[in-house]
Amino acid sequence: MTTPGDRAFTLVNVSRIFAFRGTVAWIGSWDGELGAGLGFIKDVWLQKLLGIALLMLWTASGLCAQENAPILSGGVQFLSSTVGGNTFFQPAIAPVLVVPLGDHWLVESRADLRGFIAHDNGSSGPYSGQFIGTLEYLQLDYIANPHLTVTVGRFLTPFNIYDERFTPFWIRDLQDAPIIFPIGTRTSGSNNGLMFRGVATAHPTWEVNYTAYFSVLSTTENLQSGRTAGGRMGVFFPLAGVEVGASYQRFLQDVNYNAVGAYFTWQPPQIPLDVRSEYAHSPNGQGYWLEAAYHFSKTRGDTSRLGRLQGVARIQQFFKGTPAPGDSLPSADTNRFDFGLNYYLPHDVRVNGSYGRQYSTAGNANIWEAQISYRFLFPALPSGVFK
Amino acid sequence: MRITLFAASVLALFAICANVSGQSPAQAAKKQSGAAKPAANQTQSAPSTTDQEQKEGERRFRANCGRCHNPPESISPREVKAVMQHMRVRAMLSAQDEELILKYLAP
Repeated sequence: MTTPGDRAFTLVNVSRIFAFRGTVAWIGSWDGELGAGLGFIKDVWLQKLLGIALLMLWTASGLCAQENAPILSGGVQFLSSTVGGNTFFQPAIAPVLVVPLGDHWLVESRADLRGFIAHDNGSSGPYSGQFIGTLEYLQLDYIANPHLTVTVGRFLTPFNIYDERFTPFWIRDLQDAPIIFPIGTRTSGSNNGLMFRGVATAHPTWEVNYTAYFSVLSTTENLQSGRTAGGRMGVFFPLAGVEVGASYQRFLQDVNYNAVGAYFTWQPPQIPLDVRSEYAHSPNGQGYWLEAAYHFSKTRGDTSRLGRLQGVARIQQFFKGTPAPGDSLPSADTNRFDFGLNYYLPHDVRVNGSYGRQYSTAGNANIWEAQISYRFLFPALPSGVFK
Repeated sequence: MRITLFAASVLALFAICANVSGQSPAQAAKKQSGAAKPAANQTQSAPSTTDQEQKEGERRFRANCGRCHNPPESISPREVKAVMQHMRVRAMLSAQDEELILKYLAP
């Protein structure tokens, strides 16, 4: 008979093979707290979240104008993954709530409610599931001027670009997060603290953007955060569709260390091609990923059958450094490639599938994934609320 | 059994969501050039937008928003300003980018 503890242990193993942002990536870093962290969503936590959401909506109903309504967006998905013969499923819903409070204030939040369904005994036996709820961000933004936004609360760690830009499962082209994702995003991918960000300078041909933040330690369930300080700076060339940037983070807990990163994105204006890449380094390891996605919309228009198709490929390399508990990184040098196809159906529904092969001295593995997702967007309050 | 029921529930949810999306009045308008369609007939008080501003707004939409995601199929006039404030913070749009993209989405 499988105990809840056994299931949690299985989940940890699977999570260390897979590094899904938002849930599993940080499960690996929870370690000893896993037993308490998993399991069904706690009623008290849900009640608090619901209370905050209702309070924000109530406040917004008095402050917002007709044309500036709060919105509820996000996505729902069903993801099937097979890693080295072990299959598991992840149904999930990730609601995004945006509440504008006038022209300068904004409350934003995203949660991730996810089921994790797997065989009790790895690749055999009955399935059992657990549900995990995480608050990815809940932040209050003050748009001070065209160059500065001040954010307080819980926010996504602005280290490189994957965490902030590509973690929503309805956006990312390949469902599995890059191997180096945990570098610079410890301990949970989110931070509780204060952040400054904005566009330092903007010209027709180039822009400089920046973030700087400090976060405090939090071990509160679903709100984990590390004590860190860091920042990112990027230069965007809109006419060429190129952005380059660099990140830095100082981890300020029991062990102090630096993580550094660099990124590059390129979207040529004339071709429906996306090229993205990141490099990250910390004492625990270093590595890079390079991804290219081509949309076949040039062939017969983006609403044609072929035009809705997108092909994706990604290569990754990871080199192990000094292992540390909770670093959520592979235990050995790892190489990996992935190929995938995305098909964009009408009504913001997307289906995709991918195959990946991982080479590691800890064991090679095939990774198959299939997903269907739906992105939604609608006003969070009925129109009658606003007068 | 529970798994089957769960999978069926998820598929049903997708079907419902897709159906709701399909019934949206804003959905009826035709998609323009693969981008999110502008929120038609925006508020009466909105200043008029020139063709040049709209073209520039579309170009900036593609350059900034298209770097990360495909546009949603539709954005209603009530949603567009909140979406733009959200994306200004998240995608670090410049003030001018926000203004022009807003004019493109809600002329």
